[in-house]
Amino acid sequence: MDKKLEKILPLVQKPARYTGGELNSVVKDKNAVDIRFAFCFPDSYEIGMSHLGIKILYSLINARQDAWCERVFAPWPDMEAQMRDNGIPLYALESGDPVAAFDIVGFTLQYELCYTNVLNMLDLAGLPVRSKDRKTLFPLVVGGGPCACNPEPMADFFDLFMLGDGEEVTNELLDLYKAHKRKGSSKTEFLRDASKLPGIYVPAFYDVAYQEDGTVGAIVPKEGAPEKIVKRVVRDLDRVFYPDSFVVPFIDVVFDRVTHEIFRGCIRGCRFCQACFLSRPIREKTPETINEQCKALCRNTGYDEISLCSLSSSDYSHIEELLSRLLDWTPDEKVNIALPSLRVDNFSDELLQKLTGVRKSGLTFAPEAGTQRMRDVINKNVTEEELLETARVAFAGGYSAVKLYFMLGLPTETPEDVQGIAALARRVVDEYYAMPDKPKGRGVSVSVSASNFVPKPFTPFQWEPQATREELKEKQTLLLHSCPSKKVNISFHDIDTSFLEGVFARGDRRLSDVIETAWKQGCIFDSWNDHFKFDKWMESFAACGLSPEFYANRRRDYGETLPWDHLDYGVSKGYLERENEKAKRAETTANCKIKCAGCGANKLNGGHCDV
Amino acid sequence: MYDVRIRLSKRGRIKFVSHLDMFRLMQRAVRRADIPLWYTEGFNPHPYVSYLLALPLGVEGLSEPIDIRLVEEMPAEEVQARLNAVLPEGLRVESVAAPFHKPAEIAFGRYEVFLDKSDISKEELTEALECGELTCEKSGKSGHKKIMKTVNVSEHIRRYAVDDAGEQIKLEVVLPAGSTFNLNPLQLMEAVSARLGRRVYPPLTVRTALLCADESEFR
Ligand code: SF4
Ligand code: SF4
Repeated sequence: MDKKLEKILPLVQKPARYTGGELNSVVKDKNAVDIRFAFCFPDSYEIGMSHLGIKILYSLINARQDAWCERVFAPWPDMEAQMRDNGIPLYALESGDPVAAFDIVGFTLQYELCYTNVLNMLDLAGLPVRSKDRKTLFPLVVGGGPCACNPEPMADFFDLFMLGDGEEVTNELLDLYKAHKRKGSSKTEFLRDASKLPGIYVPAFYDVAYQEDGTVGAIVPKEGAPEKIVKRVVRDLDRVFYPDSFVVPFIDVVFDRVTHEIFRGCIRGCRFCQACFLSRPIREKTPETINEQCKALCRNTGYDEISLCSLSSSDYSHIEELLSRLLDWTPDEKVNIALPSLRVDNFSDELLQKLTGVRKSGLTFAPEAGTQRMRDVINKNVTEEELLETARVAFAGGYSAVKLYFMLGLPTETPEDVQGIAALARRVVDEYYAMPDKPKGRGVSVSVSASNFVPKPFTPFQWEPQATREELKEKQTLLLHSCPSKKVNISFHDIDTSFLEGVFARGDRRLSDVIETAWKQGCIFDSWNDHFKFDKWMESFAACGLSPEFYANRRRDYGETLPWDHLDYGVSKGYLERENEKAKRAETTANCKIKCAGCGANKLNGGHCDV
Repeated sequence: MYDVRIRLSKRGRIKFVSHLDMFRLMQRAVRRADIPLWYTEGFNPHPYVSYLLALPLGVEGLSEPIDIRLVEEMPAEEVQARLNAVLPEGLRVESVAAPFHKPAEIAFGRYEVFLDKSDISKEELTEALECGELTCEKSGKSGHKKIMKTVNVSEHIRRYAVDDAGEQIKLEVVLPAGSTFNLNPLQLMEAVSARLGRRVYPPLTVRTALLCADESEFR
């Protein structure tokens, strides 16, 4: 280990975040590989190491003989200060080598509020933050993840983005890079070829013009880049690469367990839900494959918990079969199964029994809205009776803590809808006390988490204005006042944070300047309340002459060119428009199992969805 | 049920893994090692792993005792080999044997502390160790509250030797360890630093052994 590093580690919190050497981390001979890839997660080690995508791509790249993938996380400010004071550049955990020495530096963009961390990490690595100032082929700075669906605010910093599922396109990109490196190509020569790979978006090859009113006028490709970049879709989840081991962190991270993705896409189509539309079409993995992969992972990591993850686990067609298979061996191996993202409307008694046989913890439900009308608007097809029935089953099964997730500021929301949240929470409490044989001496606890709705690209609400900060404040106050019960505990999300998220979610390229300015003003770790500096952000918008309200709070009409219109995620604009109109009429759309609503995503999968 | 005592060495960068994290790490390692473990009862069963004495963050160890419980006997070499096959870099099982002493018999730790000559001279170090009034702040408990206490470090230095023949200064020191009172060499060096008025941090500190009250090796 580097001597300078060894000296500062005793001075920082949780130094094991910065040492590397964890079980299953991959160390190769750097002289025996052609491509060195630094996989950067622009947030803390604890958050990054909990993320499934990084585990998949890490193993996938390291499965290649010719490449070595290492991990990099954003150092916490105490560590950053020590690094800067002692002249230690950002380094990768496996080799300890500086990130600037890598061929490819890849960032995953999981949420908008990590953007300044990307700039800070590039800077700590000693690299210019802007793509145009990095002249050579390496390091190449690439991005992916959900925010790549509208990466425009980050367009000036990245050389290219990968849209959609990363498994196949990553390998294609590495092959291409290797060929160009061998030839000694320039960066532009490489990017020109890269832009022809399906799913690769090179922002510098698109000229964006703006109209007088500030909206986007035209997006014109050059250098032979395609008009539309279509996201990548892995067709066969059974055959696609899945790791048989995970790096096991030394320190406690947010999700420290075997995670297994059982399907991609979601049949529900809740109108606010970007994750749903970005991940369509619907593709399932077979229970056999999942079971075998879980076994291998448990064996290789020593984890005692498996989390079956997906957007809506109980919609998985073979959920009962999968659980039976897993329960064949997990009790003997003392392994627990967790099933997050269960939906209330098909949470069967039987399923609950199977799970409670394994583990009992708090239950979470996401009705998202307090009244039926509001739930119809957002297409959350669950009735109050269904929710209460589920609560009854859960209470009877021994649960006494329930967490309910709601959103404030949804399109068309009225004060009655806000008050409806409190009323619903109260009815859940009543349900507990109505139980004939409720446990003595134990009360119920219902927590309500109310987040702020943020309209996102590729959802039916992509044209809607976000509620203003003032409106959100009023809604929060109203909700608080309409809920006097001591059994109900309400928590809110920070309004300023949601506002900024709203700006960047639907922002355009001009925001690159704002991000750089704010970062220079000291904004980093914006998603962490104690680091978030809202005033600095507002100053940065003013300094760049841009209005954040223009991006967050403005209604777009259907005809407007949206900053992400040249990106194609399968779901058609026509469908989103139809859904938006239905929302205005509070009309619901049946889920994909009942009837295909023609969202268009199946065209990326040969016209097929696993429903 | 059979209790076996593992003696683990912890060397290199893994010294920055805290005691709490080591505990979880060992629990997972024994699971992966495919040895006949005894699990605790209850709703969330876990293997029985008892780390007899915490090793301070940043300190290496040559012979750290850990007890695990098995449901059936397995040859010591087998347990050792299976564990070594799954431990991360820097951790090694040096020996496996039936416990001899009781955990409460641990009384001292023997350490080697390596110091850069540019940070401190042999004379300065010896003067500080001899002065009789080295103190450091140590967190302690008063009832249920956590409080800071000033501890006279000098009183607790059981024995020491300073050797500056090599490239670095090597301090060998025996300090109290165990369930009742602990003083670790980093705290000792903090006390030395406080006396000198500048931070002297040893690049390498190693616990070489745990000792019983008669200074025989704890087994
Ligand atoms: S159920 Fe609704 S909110 Fe949940 S993932 Fe599916 S579409 Fe999104
Ligand atoms: S194509 Fe049809 S079935 Fe497939 S996700 Fe879209 S609406 Fe659902």
